[in-house]
Amino acid sequence: MAFTQDTSAFSSKNNYQNLIIPGIIFAALLFSIWLVFQSEDVSEFPVFVTDSFTFTAWVNQGEDFLKDNIKVYTRAVAAYVKELYWMLEDFLLDSSWVFIVALLLIPSLAFGGIKLGFLVLFGTMYWGMVGLWDSAMETLALMGLSVFLSVVVGVILGIFCALSDRFERNMKPALDVMQVMPAFVYLIPAMFFFGIGGAPAILATMIYSMPPIIRLTNLGIRQVPNETIETATAFGSTKSQVLFKVQIPLALPSIMMGVNQTIMMALALVVLATFIGAQGLGSDIWVSIKKLEVGAALEGGFCVLLMAIMFDRFGKAASRETVTLPVDSQKFYLLPQTWDIYPLARQIEKPLMYIHIAVAFIFSSIIRIFSFVINLVVSLFNKDYGRLIEQFINAHYFMFSGIFILLGIIYYDSNITTIGSFPDSWNLSIRDEIAAGVKSLTVNPTFIEITRSIRATVVIYLLRPLDTYLTYLPYWFTIGALVLMSWKAVGLRFAIVTAFLLAFIGACNIWTEAMITLSSVLISVLLCFVIGVPIGIMASYSKRFQNINEVILDAMQTLPYFCYLVPVLMFFGGGSFSALLATIIYAIPPIIRLTVLGLSQVSTTYSEVSRSFGGSTLQTLSKIKFPLAVPSLVMGFNQTVMMAFAMQIVTPLIGGKGLGLEVFNGLARSDTGRALAAGIGICLLAMIIDRISLAYTKKQRDALGL
Amino acid sequence: MNKSLFLKTFTALILSSFLVFSAGTAHAKRLTAAVADWTGGEITCQVAVSMLEQELGYRVDRIEFASGTGLWEAIAAGDIDFACESWPSYAEADDVMLNEPLYYDGEVVQEYSGTGEVMAFTTGIIGASDYYVPKYFVDANPDFNGWEDLNKFKDQFATVETGSKGRLIGCPVAGWNCHDQKRLDIMGIDFEAVELGTEVALLAEAQGSYDRQEPFLMYLWEPHFFFGKNEMVGIGLPPHQACDSFTEANNWQDCGMGSWPASNWAKDYTMNYMNPATMQKPENAEALAFFKKMKFANVDQAKMLVRVGDDGLSVEEAVQEWKDSTNDWQAWLP
Repeated sequence: MAFTQDTSAFSSKNNYQNLIIPGIIFAALLFSIWLVFQSEDVSEFPVFVTDSFTFTAWVNQGEDFLKDNIKVYTRAVAAYVKELYWMLEDFLLDSSWVFIVALLLIPSLAFGGIKLGFLVLFGTMYWGMVGLWDSAMETLALMGLSVFLSVVVGVILGIFCALSDRFERNMKPALDVMQVMPAFVYLIPAMFFFGIGGAPAILATMIYSMPPIIRLTNLGIRQVPNETIETATAFGSTKSQVLFKVQIPLALPSIMMGVNQTIMMALALVVLATFIGAQGLGSDIWVSIKKLEVGAALEGGFCVLLMAIMFDRFGKAASRETVTLPVDSQKFYLLPQTWDIYPLARQIEKPLMYIHIAVAFIFSSIIRIFSFVINLVVSLFNKDYGRLIEQFINAHYFMFSGIFILLGIIYYDSNITTIGSFPDSWNLSIRDEIAAGVKSLTVNPTFIEITRSIRATVVIYLLRPLDTYLTYLPYWFTIGALVLMSWKAVGLRFAIVTAFLLAFIGACNIWTEAMITLSSVLISVLLCFVIGVPIGIMASYSKRFQNINEVILDAMQTLPYFCYLVPVLMFFGGGSFSALLATIIYAIPPIIRLTVLGLSQVSTTYSEVSRSFGGSTLQTLSKIKFPLAVPSLVMGFNQTVMMAFAMQIVTPLIGGKGLGLEVFNGLARSDTGRALAAGIGICLLAMIIDRISLAYTKKQRDALGL
Repeated sequence: MNKSLFLKTFTALILSSFLVFSAGTAHAKRLTAAVADWTGGEITCQVAVSMLEQELGYRVDRIEFASGTGLWEAIAAGDIDFACESWPSYAEADDVMLNEPLYYDGEVVQEYSGTGEVMAFTTGIIGASDYYVPKYFVDANPDFNGWEDLNKFKDQFATVETGSKGRLIGCPVAGWNCHDQKRLDIMGIDFEAVELGTEVALLAEAQGSYDRQEPFLMYLWEPHFFFGKNEMVGIGLPPHQACDSFTEANNWQDCGMGSWPASNWAKDYTMNYMNPATMQKPENAEALAFFKKMKFANVDQAKMLVRVGDDGLSVEEAVQEWKDSTNDWQAWLP
């Protein structure tokens, strides 16, 4: 008897305790709402603080100092990079388009087979056919040079990291910070130190895209087994011989993986670098956005997407360990291998096979003759070298035939007929059709009514109340709440840091803007959940839906992020609601992905058990699967928040407000201090929320024993 | 296995070095221009660029860069060689970089005594700016006489986003230094200025309101193709009066009513502006001579504006069409 009473008393106490925290939160919420109704104007930091903490002025003074002392050197670097860039750009623009296509196509054929060849052929022709050939070449030049520079510098730094533990320890935090920073952040200091145009874009891209190559070089070298190194040392190799003959060659697959990642990151930033005056596809897309030319913007975005896919596939093919020339390893060249049960597929593949055999025969014969002649000539002097060279040429007939073709094109272009630029008549552009379609929809009264009511609902019931709440709420309350949260989730030290960071934002006199940014981030994340979780649930139940989803999400993450402004502008025009919508479109993929992941990770045993106890699908989902997927969802929340913050910097283009607008205004008025303060503000807010939600995820995972 | 990988890398290196060594010759006559961010300015720029490229043999890199102080500093630093059609009353903080009188038709229209980091010549285009309401609104409300009456009608101008305040479809680009909200505040107009980011967004918003025959207040300037299709009436802001203390250094201390920014913009003799060091290089002598002589006319720009804004031509096509149709520009060549 006593025993049961005890437990019931215990459990009721437990219940009571469970209510304390939500109770406090609820009371604090009510209190804060009361506070908001009390305050008559937006909450701002006391004037004596903002007046004495003149961060903006300090930065601008510092800028003047740097202008007088450092800029000479940075400008010299920029001038050198600019020369290189102009050389490469001139080469790409002045070469005939056939030459460029061949230059990209031949290595793709050699490494990736006909399938990749077709992709590259289509991609390059597409640039020309939508009339963006020149811009594509500019982007290619910017990207090529920044990748080249980051690979050279990155590999060297990576080797240093691998050789010295101390160097690695110092490098690691820097690399961590570099990867958390939103891409845009790199552009502001680059513009400040290196000016405007291609050179600063390349230098910013270089810094932005270097971390993966450093990390993977370091990792690759460190992963070389100790036995291998010892064996080499035992055979009398010196340290540098071990490094260059054993460690680096063994680390090459890892390094190539780093190169691949670097290429993708470089492409993303090079497109974005239009904001500091870089030319290329990004600039075309931006101009189209500014002119509300939806079709043109979509085509530009598609060019970037194709470029990204091409380089990604090429990088993957080139870093594969064995050569997969489709000689005998596969039955089909173009279509999936499993399709060989369909007669039609066999019919399509048959001519390809014959073409391949014929081409391979012709080329290998020519190369054989060539190598034979070389062998004969060299053999006059030295028989061994002659044979070696012949073997080398025969083993690399793809490379040599490629060089022959390229030389042939150059010869034809300069001595027979000038090929010139891409023919205008080859046109695949559908921008006018897209524009007309969108226009006919946007003048439709029903459509206008629908978009209007959505817009009004979101603005009146979500955006304006939260904006008002956060901006009118006294700053000390907001800071207190965030500090408490970081104390509970992370720890005392981070709580103190949070207090300082928030005080910095307030002291810079951008508190109101920061709260507006926070409010639009919170609302877009909320809407991301409302829309993304159901999609994720559907996807987790249907394999086909999931496949389609994967493709779309992949594409969404490859597009430069200001492309998302286009569809929104198209249907909703400018304004703070449109800014919100663009943020949602950009930030939703991680939520969908991680919902699917979380739900499909739940072991089938749990759902089987639930079903055997008579739980319906809905019950299984809401009672078993969903709670177990929570940590994964919180992870998605974390990523979505970060992406939503990153988006805040471009939304001012279509009427977004808050810190992003401050950055824009600061840049346009050449007020570096103002732009920097606002940019730092965005990063700080993102950092605080990132840390809190990461710590919370970790706690959840630990509690569930995952 | 790794050997083959290494050789592949080697192949790639050979191909890329082959690429670098066969690079073509660099262009000696090469200039970098910032393309303006409104249609009229784009046309003026394209006129200049087409002269430089087609008649004088330059290669011009066109860079997208928002106009404003940032652009002036980029020109002073030599990152960009020239930019087109700056409107002096918008360039309040920037004209300290000029140190030469500005001539129009042989007469001095403005004196400058700054650092001389930037040089400027008139383009020939004369601009005017104001706030406008649609004519149908004035017709429907005979007791509306100008900006003083805006507060009486603010409910008609209010939107979802501005709440109880009226809405001004304001100057779209921050870098243009319009100070819309400041102007409204000083003049006691209970309106909120909405910054839409681009000229086209501003026009789309205004055109939509016009088509629905709603009352709206917008910022705009002349020459502009919007006035061709839509009947608009200026609200008669007080005439321009400069205010010396309204600078960043003075923490934007305004001079109160009747003075900038609580006044209209000036009649603007627009100018092309460029980096003096670049322009004084011998290979750019022809470009400099051209900028000194260029004298574009409002009528011509207005015609091209209509071709671009209403007929959907690209700026390049409109300028080419004008260039083919007349020989006036021959006189600007050195």
